[in-house]
Amino acid sequence: MGLIQRLVEEAGIPTISTGNAPDRMAHIKPPRAVLVKFARGSMFGEPGNVKRQRRIILDALEALQTMTEPGSIQELPYKWKRPDPE
Amino acid sequence: MPIDLDAFEPAYKKWVEESLPDYRAGNMKEIIKKYPFIVPDDVPWTDYKGQPSDQTFALLTTGGFYLKDSQPPFDTESIHGDVSYREIPKTVRQQDIGIAHKHYDHSLTEQDFNIVFPIQRFVELENEGVIGKLPDTHYSFSYVNDAVSLVKETVPEFISRIKADGVDVLFLVPV
Repeated sequence: MGLIQRLVEEAGIPTISTGNAPDRMAHIKPPRAVLVKFARGSMFGEPGNVKRQRRIILDALEALQTMTEPGSIQELPYKWKRPDPE
Repeated sequence: MPIDLDAFEPAYKKWVEESLPDYRAGNMKEIIKKYPFIVPDDVPWTDYKGQPSDQTFALLTTGGFYLKDSQPPFDTESIHGDVSYREIPKTVRQQDIGIAHKHYDHSLTEQDFNIVFPIQRFVELENEGVIGKLPDTHYSFSYVNDAVSLVKETVPEFISRIKADGVDVLFLVPV
């Protein structure tokens, strides 16, 4: 996955990914990523949490526009089955 | 190159030989621990320019999604994984999706595929003008270890495909 991201970025298309495993991300070194605290298979949180899915995308779009350093990773605050911060 | 294939290829062959018993026994932690991650220190970078509201976004998941009525599932038996990908239309519905990926729990994704492929949220953002455009086609890969075939064959073809669609930004969601 990280490899696909790196190849696409190298081909001239900016990329952003979600990730949940800092140790793996340290190996793979994605160009830009947001880091969530969710388990494998649920990168956007609980099923049906539409508001949260949307917020994570919007956070990633913001990161896309503001990150300037290759390899930037921004941690997001959302927690499983807890309300989102205001 | 984002990966040094000359260094990776022999290390990968050795890993396949050594890891087959663990793979067959389902000891995924062991085989991941031994996998020859050979990634150069430098990180590829393309400056992001412009505004999302003017741009075309494509979405990619590695969730092993395929259209169960019209596409073959991914190979979930081989230690190499499956280097192919499936084209998923932006109008896809939950009932259209099959999942061929042995290495994560599908029970939540089967309730709401948006948790690894949030295409329905992207369509809403397109309708609201937050992002400019979604092409008709988006993408799923599955579990893959064979980085050599991925780098040499599949991804160059994939990149030509998204460039032909005028994609400005690729949004990737691993499982």
